[in-house]
Amino acid sequence: MSNKKYAIILDDTTCIDCKACTLACKTENNVEAGFFSYRNWVGEIENDQAVFPNIRRKFRPSQCQQCDNPPCVHVCPTRASYQTEDGVVLVDYHKCILCKYCMTACPYDARYESHDKHAIDKCTFCYHRLAEGREPACVETCPPKVRKFVNLLDKQDENTKLLQTEAIEVQKPEKGTKPKLYYIK
Amino acid sequence: MSSHTEAVKSHSDIFNGNKRIPLSVIIVLLALSAVSLYGLFNVITQGHTASYGTTKTVPWGILISTYVFFVVSSTGLCLISSMGHVFNIEKYEVIGKRAIILAILTICCGFFVIATEIGHPIRMAIYNVISPNLASAIWWMGTLYGIYLFCIIVEFYFLMTHNHKGAFYAGLAGFIAGISAHSNLGAVFGFLDARPFWHGPYLPIYFILSALISGCALVIIIFNVAYKGEANMPAKAKEALLGIAKIFGLLLGIIIFFDIWKVLTSVYGAPPEKYEAVMTMIAGPLSINFWFFEVLLGMLIPFALILGTKGRSIKAALVASCSAIVGIFFMRYDLVVAGQLVPMREATAGSRVQGVVEGLAQYTPTASEITIVAGAIILCAGLYLAAERFLNLTED
Amino acid sequence: MLIKNPKLSRRRFLAAGGAAATVLAVGSNVSVMKAVASSKNTNTGKGDTKHIYSCCAVCVNKCGFIAEVNNGVIRKLNTNPNFFKSRSMICARGNAGAKIPYDPDRLKSPLLRVGERGEGKWKKISWDEAYSYITENVMKLIKEEENRSTIAFAATEGMQEEFYLALASTIGSLNTVRHPTLCLASNIQGYSSVYGTFPDGDLLNSKFVVMCGSNRAEAIITPDTIDMAKNKRNQTLVCIDPRATKTTAIADKWYPIKPGTDLALVLAVINHIISNDLYDKAFVEQWTVGFDELKESVKKYSIDWAANETEIDAKEIKWLAEEFAKNAPASVWYPGRRSSFYSNDVYYRRAIAILNAIVGAWDKPGGLVPKSAVPLKAHEIIYPFYDLVESRIDTGKLDFIKDMVDEYARGVIPTDAGVYLSEKDGSWPIFREAILKREPYTVRGMFVYKQNPVESVPNRAKTLEMMKQLDFICTIDTQMSDTAFFSDIVLPESTYLERWDPAHNLSGIQPIVVFRQPVIEPLHNTKSMFDMWVDLTKRFIDIPEFWEDTTEDDKEYFVEQFEKMLKPEHPIEHLIEYQLSGHKDGFKKLMENGCFWIHEKPVFGTTYKKGKFKTRTGKAELFSQRYLDKGLEPLPVYTAVPQPEPGEFRFVVGRHGQFTHANTQNNMWLLEAYGDTENACWISAKVARERGIKSGDRLKIKSEVGEETAKALVTEYTRDDVVYYVHGFGRLSQGLTNIYKKGASQAAVIKDYVDTISGNAALHETFVTIEKA
Repeated sequence: MSNKKYAIILDDTTCIDCKACTLACKTENNVEAGFFSYRNWVGEIENDQAVFPNIRRKFRPSQCQQCDNPPCVHVCPTRASYQTEDGVVLVDYHKCILCKYCMTACPYDARYESHDKHAIDKCTFCYHRLAEGREPACVETCPPKVRKFVNLLDKQDENTKLLQTEAIEVQKPEKGTKPKLYYIK
Repeated sequence: MSSHTEAVKSHSDIFNGNKRIPLSVIIVLLALSAVSLYGLFNVITQGHTASYGTTKTVPWGILISTYVFFVVSSTGLCLISSMGHVFNIEKYEVIGKRAIILAILTICCGFFVIATEIGHPIRMAIYNVISPNLASAIWWMGTLYGIYLFCIIVEFYFLMTHNHKGAFYAGLAGFIAGISAHSNLGAVFGFLDARPFWHGPYLPIYFILSALISGCALVIIIFNVAYKGEANMPAKAKEALLGIAKIFGLLLGIIIFFDIWKVLTSVYGAPPEKYEAVMTMIAGPLSINFWFFEVLLGMLIPFALILGTKGRSIKAALVASCSAIVGIFFMRYDLVVAGQLVPMREATAGSRVQGVVEGLAQYTPTASEITIVAGAIILCAGLYLAAERFLNLTED
Repeated sequence: MLIKNPKLSRRRFLAAGGAAATVLAVGSNVSVMKAVASSKNTNTGKGDTKHIYSCCAVCVNKCGFIAEVNNGVIRKLNTNPNFFKSRSMICARGNAGAKIPYDPDRLKSPLLRVGERGEGKWKKISWDEAYSYITENVMKLIKEEENRSTIAFAATEGMQEEFYLALASTIGSLNTVRHPTLCLASNIQGYSSVYGTFPDGDLLNSKFVVMCGSNRAEAIITPDTIDMAKNKRNQTLVCIDPRATKTTAIADKWYPIKPGTDLALVLAVINHIISNDLYDKAFVEQWTVGFDELKESVKKYSIDWAANETEIDAKEIKWLAEEFAKNAPASVWYPGRRSSFYSNDVYYRRAIAILNAIVGAWDKPGGLVPKSAVPLKAHEIIYPFYDLVESRIDTGKLDFIKDMVDEYARGVIPTDAGVYLSEKDGSWPIFREAILKREPYTVRGMFVYKQNPVESVPNRAKTLEMMKQLDFICTIDTQMSDTAFFSDIVLPESTYLERWDPAHNLSGIQPIVVFRQPVIEPLHNTKSMFDMWVDLTKRFIDIPEFWEDTTEDDKEYFVEQFEKMLKPEHPIEHLIEYQLSGHKDGFKKLMENGCFWIHEKPVFGTTYKKGKFKTRTGKAELFSQRYLDKGLEPLPVYTAVPQPEPGEFRFVVGRHGQFTHANTQNNMWLLEAYGDTENACWISAKVARERGIKSGDRLKIKSEVGEETAKALVTEYTRDDVVYYVHGFGRLSQGLTNIYKKGASQAAVIKDYVDTISGNAALHETFVTIEKA
């Protein structure tokens, strides 16, 4: 068993939608140009009730939730989508047959078809950087450091403790996917 | 029952085809099927994304639904034909060869269509074998359909060679493989918790039911084609068709019942995402498909025709079948597309949810997709007529 | 007629301390990257991977980074954990910088126009041919006009701008015009008039921040943006803006103020603070002059009056004033940066400076803090005295200026001249008008460096008209800007990732020094501005006629210094070494850390230690005798700006987080991050309903000076009386392939009024009508 289980904790109240994470990801991971080719994104949380002048804007950065119970891995016919021991869901591009089953299975719309790779692609938590002891590019580059990259099994880590001390929400908990992007409320 | 020696003797009449089918029609159909080359050319030269209308939000489009349409038809034909030579209901033995050859052709055309949809069809064949995921419904579906195709080919061979015992075993195997494969196809959708419109045990069951309907309708159509109408039909065939017509009517009744409850459970209390998805059919972008094609052509007209004639008119059954097949094509389309029109994320500024307008994803098939679909259907018809013309599909 | 101005012609070369920016520190996220940055090789990618320190140039912040270069190709620009000014971040634009050298739209070779101006027909030429063309034209114009200032030099800031200004000095023209009057000239003027300096806001320690007319979330300034966002949970941020910008996402309150009334708000706040004894009496007594005059002059500005004027609730204004005073000295009315709002802008800037002074929030944690800098040495080049030099075209009494000031402001600001124009910066709007009017003499040639006046200076039609009037235009850029597109010759500059740039002081609460070194070799036939200056200067040295209006001694002395500079193999690297030679191991530390600093801790209270402000009186001048002497208002007075008539809208400008001015819109990666290939016109939901406009409808936006078409963006995020669209679209250059004729241009519709105190453009004084196209 690995002594690591990676996750990201986000305090998106400080997000200013600068898209540094998106661009850092695109360059770090050689993600091709294209409006719909991306591994992470920043969406505005829109509120129908927000009427001038009662406005409070809010942005939510997101990416693959690196689910502990990943539907994409379950459905992949060729095991191209798989989960590492430390809980990161990856795609083996050579095994991907582009049936797009994982795209229909993902409740977070986190995957896209990469034309460069001729395969389905998504956030890898910058797995290649983790081996070098570096944080994912989106975490490192963020101006207000919205994202904190943590090892959930390291209970002593100050950031991991946030999961105990702060009110936390995850996206679509009802899907049972056990997502590992934790948002501080 | 025929003996082995008889079977060998009768080899000479395997190719004693149906001369009523004009060669010109076959040639025209096969030529017309070349329309799919347009789509194929585009997808090869420009790639899938540029050629198809599918998006990040709606990754599966008309090619998937047409594939489903084909394999549903195939399974249905196999199941209906098994009434004769697997379950030994004598009056249905007459439909065996025709149903099985069309089952083979429809699934092959289905495979052709899915091959144009999947990004790496060759890689699929390889990694399905060397890196199987036993938890994947697509893996099971693919594998079982492979086995199924093999079984029905063998079955067809035995039928043609009058090896009834062989046909029985192959037929039984095909029946089991078909049921398994097909309910797995339902599970491909039914397993997806992400898509409430699809999720649950409903689809595997529904798929088997709708396969039987497709099977009935296609059998009624091909017998009318083979004999150029009721007038030339031998009594045995008529008797079988009238039986099938009644089953057809019954199944239509059941599927109407299924659909009503599917819709009611999706609307009642407006369950999230399910409601929005079903509303795309009831009062949304898919409403013409749903009300006109799926409900009217696919269910109400055929059901009314069968009911009105008490299943005693082959002509009415033919019209009902044609109407139903058109409707069923749209049923498949609606099923596949409606399940994806509710986006997985809210399409707000910056969220980059592709092609969402007023909360719903958009999907329109492109000319490439439509030509591939049309080509595949025409090809299937052409190949069937060719089989009819060149093979002896008449049961003695 | 000929004017010699020794002060101006003896230019300092490489003056220490740039125009630039801001503040201080807190090391963040240093842990892992340090190790990676110091090790020569990593497992990332295949083959030879290098990690090279340099700094960004996509906007003015110049954030340090570590470039990851794989087999000679830039893979990524990673944050430099040492670079505390940015809090170790790289924004979207900084990240997209990695793609800039590989942009297919780059200028790859010198280009000579072969068709008509603006026809887009070019011939690739060699550098030799380019230099010949330029020197011939320069010589011709100088000879014909007998005035070196007939060649104008426009530029925006950058770490090689000094070399461009060196070219201006070498040629001998006094007509340089720079970006500040399209940006923060009035801000610098306003604050300096009170404090003698333009300070930073210490947003790291502030408890109460008022962001009025600034949009720090989208117009990123380090470290302010980052500190403010990070402080979301422990700092009160009040955002005052007619639009709900992205800054409202981190703000606690948003007041959609009626545009043009900011000064009314501040004066009422000052009045409330004074009349309720909430001001810092000790500070006021010891460190300010003119408090009594101030007190008297703001008496008439009641909260109720301001509420009526600004359309902000009186209760809110009262709360704002009281909280501001309560949190002092850790409260800041944020100075902002671009202050080119209205013609009377300086008075507003003065007022907010004064407000911070009366609560004593000066040079203390959380308040306004004067910038400091790391001392750097500077080479000085003494340029020759030329006889044929006339003084700047935009200075002195100029008749036409009265037409550049709207009626409402004519009583409070001068209408015959720019008062405090900076020697190098000038005033873009006045400068252009003077060229057009050929007053007081004719300018016939222009060099443009890194700037794009066609899209940056309000009233695009006028800029094009001015260019039409010029006989010779040479533009130096990395991309085919609109200005380059209408030029005669275009010189391609190497990008910031392909060249050495001298050390540069980022002054602020916590100053730090950055530099640039090539992370890759130039990909195309491009040169740095330094190389161009050197090459052109060599050409001029060889032209005897060029030196006819100066002495042999002057020429010799200049040539000697010039050649000495070129001696070392890498002149700029050598220059950096010299710049840092005042610090022990300074150069070594700079190379090892990617930046250089003396201490990380911010320094507060230098004003108090020195015992005086850098003003005439040595105190913070609430009342300005200097202004009074110049015929200006010594205390800020409110003048109501005109409001749009029914059916009209005020056109407001503003920044977007993915774009630097009009520079980065054509970068496909940023355009993509922005989310569209064109801009959209914000229009309030209420107005849109009334007029049957839906998002996506094409709108005609028409002002007195121009008309543009853009799609509508119907939104609740704006007042009813303003419209807005993002800068930098609707471009004229065919060389900007992603945005050519996409969307609408701001410059095309904005009127060119000017603030004559600072020379700043007034960008918010344009009314437009909106019609469905």
